Amino acid sequence: MRKHILFVLALALTVSFRASAQSFLENSQVSGSFQTDAQYYMRDNGIGINDLYGKKLGINGFGKVNYTNGNFSAGVRFEAFLPEMNGFRSELNGVGLANFFATYDNGFIGMTVGDIYDQFGSGLVFRTYEEWSLGMDNSLRGARVVLRPAQGVTLKGVYGRQRFFWYPYLERDMGAEEYRGIVRGVDAEWDLNQSIPSMNDAKFKMSLGGSFVSKKQEDLSLFYYIPENVGAAATRINLGYGNWAFSTEYAYKINDPSAINNFIYKEGRAILSSLSYSQKGFGAVLQVKRVDNMSFKSMYTGKQNDLDINFIPPINYTHTHSLPSMYTYSTQPNGEMAAQLQVNYTIPKGTALGGKYGTKLAFNMSQVNDIVRDSVMENGHMVINKPGSLGYTSKFFAISDHRFFRDINFEIDKKINKDWHVTAQYINLYYDIETIEGHAGAPVVQANIGFLDVTYKINKKQSLRLELQGLWENEVHKGYEYEESEKKDYQKRGDWAFALLEYTITPHWSFSIADKWNYGNPVEEYRDHYFTGTISYIHEATRVMLSAGRQSEGVVCVGGVCRTVPASSGVTLTVSTSF
Amino acid sequence: MKRLSLIFATAALLLFAMGCDKIDINNTHKPFEPVAGLKTVLIKDFTGARCVNCPAAAETAHELQHLLGEDRVFILSVHAGFLAQPMGNFPDFLTEEGTIWYNNHDSNPLFSVDQVALTDGNTLNVEQIDAPVAAALNEVQLFDITTYTTYDEASRQLSVENHFYPTGDGNGKYYATVCLVEDSIVGWQTVPGGVDKEYVFRNVFRGTLNGVDGQQVFNGPFYVEDSFTSTCSIEIDSTYNADQCYVLTYIYDYDNGKIMHTVMEKVK
Repeated sequence: MRKHILFVLALALTVSFRASAQSFLENSQVSGSFQTDAQYYMRDNGIGINDLYGKKLGINGFGKVNYTNGNFSAGVRFEAFLPEMNGFRSELNGVGLANFFATYDNGFIGMTVGDIYDQFGSGLVFRTYEEWSLGMDNSLRGARVVLRPAQGVTLKGVYGRQRFFWYPYLERDMGAEEYRGIVRGVDAEWDLNQSIPSMNDAKFKMSLGGSFVSKKQEDLSLFYYIPENVGAAATRINLGYGNWAFSTEYAYKINDPSAINNFIYKEGRAILSSLSYSQKGFGAVLQVKRVDNMSFKSMYTGKQNDLDINFIPPINYTHTHSLPSMYTYSTQPNGEMAAQLQVNYTIPKGTALGGKYGTKLAFNMSQVNDIVRDSVMENGHMVINKPGSLGYTSKFFAISDHRFFRDINFEIDKKINKDWHVTAQYINLYYDIETIEGHAGAPVVQANIGFLDVTYKINKKQSLRLELQGLWENEVHKGYEYEESEKKDYQKRGDWAFALLEYTITPHWSFSIADKWNYGNPVEEYRDHYFTGTISYIHEATRVMLSAGRQSEGVVCVGGVCRTVPASSGVTLTVSTSF
Repeated sequence: MKRLSLIFATAALLLFAMGCDKIDINNTHKPFEPVAGLKTVLIKDFTGARCVNCPAAAETAHELQHLLGEDRVFILSVHAGFLAQPMGNFPDFLTEEGTIWYNNHDSNPLFSVDQVALTDGNTLNVEQIDAPVAAALNEVQLFDITTYTTYDEASRQLSVENHFYPTGDGNGKYYATVCLVEDSIVGWQTVPGGVDKEYVFRNVFRGTLNGVDGQQVFNGPFYVEDSFTSTCSIEIDSTYNADQCYVLTYIYDYDNGKIMHTVMEKVK
């Protein structure tokens, strides 16, 4: 009898377990993506690549899988750089499990352990993110708690150590603490429209927020007393009324001597404000930003694009075409004053200028100058930016005459008829290449840039696209006198022309040929053609792209963060898929 | 819910209270404390004549050397990488051994301390070397080296005799590399704002006398009373200033590349 009871119980449990397992599996969602970028390098004396230094192949690849089941989610990300492609940091070389996480969130409380990507406000004091094209990942390995104690109120806490390539995370592992400290942060946000019932549907919108982030890193300096705890705080407000929106965030950081700021003890400050208006067919945004000594890294000796705890958003137009994106602005965390105005207007359909489909017009102007720095007294002498000193003082609203960057552009986007579509843009550019790219003594880039992008639909499946672009520098071009010793600084300077022809057979195939020609370089041997041929195939979420040819030296920038890309010649293969 | 919010608020307050250290602006410099011990340290500065940031980095490394003692810290300027490639009037200080040590890194200036940082694929910038140098100086000295040089003016032939002595019993595979160094060479160097045509290059690595890996000194168990003597020679290039040349010898662990001790001796 007892055996029978046990058997029945076991059967019931098995059935119950199978039922719940089945229900568990039915609620599961698995998603992911994979990508491999590979470059085969070849010598090309024509563009000065006489030696490959033993590196013929570079491969960057990743695969990530995320699993979600109701309130629970988890994921892993595997990376391989065998070896890394040229232009990526050599520390990436390696293979392994780069990230993993597990999250439970029931709406009231959310907890994550593992690698955390998050942002407080606009990121002025805290933002962790991953950007594949830059080879950058500053995720925080640790824990995060998100609490929503009342409607419209969100409290967050994070704690952990940032990813630094393949370096160990634990202090008991050799060297972990030498390379970066621990990051702790809290953030609170209050959305009044959600919290206060009478404001739920109000035209007036308001939310408030505040953050505090601190890093703790051991003082290993022989020269200076380095603060082992460095805190940064920010406060923000978002307002909206009808078509208008205004947001601003102010951040403050205590003394944080570091390699980036030349070991000065000045506090850091930043403010970012945005005012926008939008209605059907018209939109305008005005943004202003001031940054003063706001590099905030979890390693005080770091100088490159790694271990940033915060993120200073760029307020510049993001160009996507080849020549306009050659000179992209890179954020200067030690100090900048910036402003941007963007206006978009659509000439309505059915008017003389709007035609049958309407005409889109866009105007953008952005400018970045340095801040004003005044010397400070140290040991009876006036000094400026001297290591071990306060560094300098800076009046909050004073703007230096030293202009880093200016971009004025105007774009027309017009669908002429069902077969023809045209986009044209003119850009007037000022780019202080000495400050932004570190080419000491190189003259400023002042250029006029234009492009025409025309698409012709041959039939329902086939189309042709032609891009014609030109870049004309005001001063540096053929005949410009340069010193022989400074020749290297002119490697991409002077006038450029670019043409691309692309033939697409939807939904799978695309073929293109392009040539980028530095015909107006002041140095004769740099007047090179950079020709490429590309074939790409798309099948659902899978994309395979094969291209061959030359790549010119330049910078790749995403969100104001840039990496240098050396000139290369060879074959590139990209395979990506997602599910 | 209230309790949770209270816990969160307390944690935030604690973070506020403990998350900031304010340094007295009148007391930012640490007093220098001489490092005890006898071990010496070698900083390899991977540099280039067309590298705009290299002079400042070299200056910082020399400040550190000056601070810790020029008899305890040695700097070897290894010209390697793209920015060290000869061009126009810029000097050619490239060496085969330097290129191998540089190991395809992609920028200058880069540093290694006792050959630790670069051998495992990692790099250091100059702001990161002070702590590893101080730590290396505090390590126990495992070997001593005595160098004797003989230089013949007429033939420009340099002969070097090195004696290696363990300071205690041990076991392992150790090699020694003997380098020729030329100091105070005047030439073109890119600097912020242009080119310094009379830049003084310090401690320029001119090559090794016994190959990139050097010569085996100990292999297996060794004892405090043991010693090993090695000799090597080279004809100093006629363009080098022998009055400014030095012989730099270091002994290192062959398995991980770590330098155990370094000495430097004038050629003349």
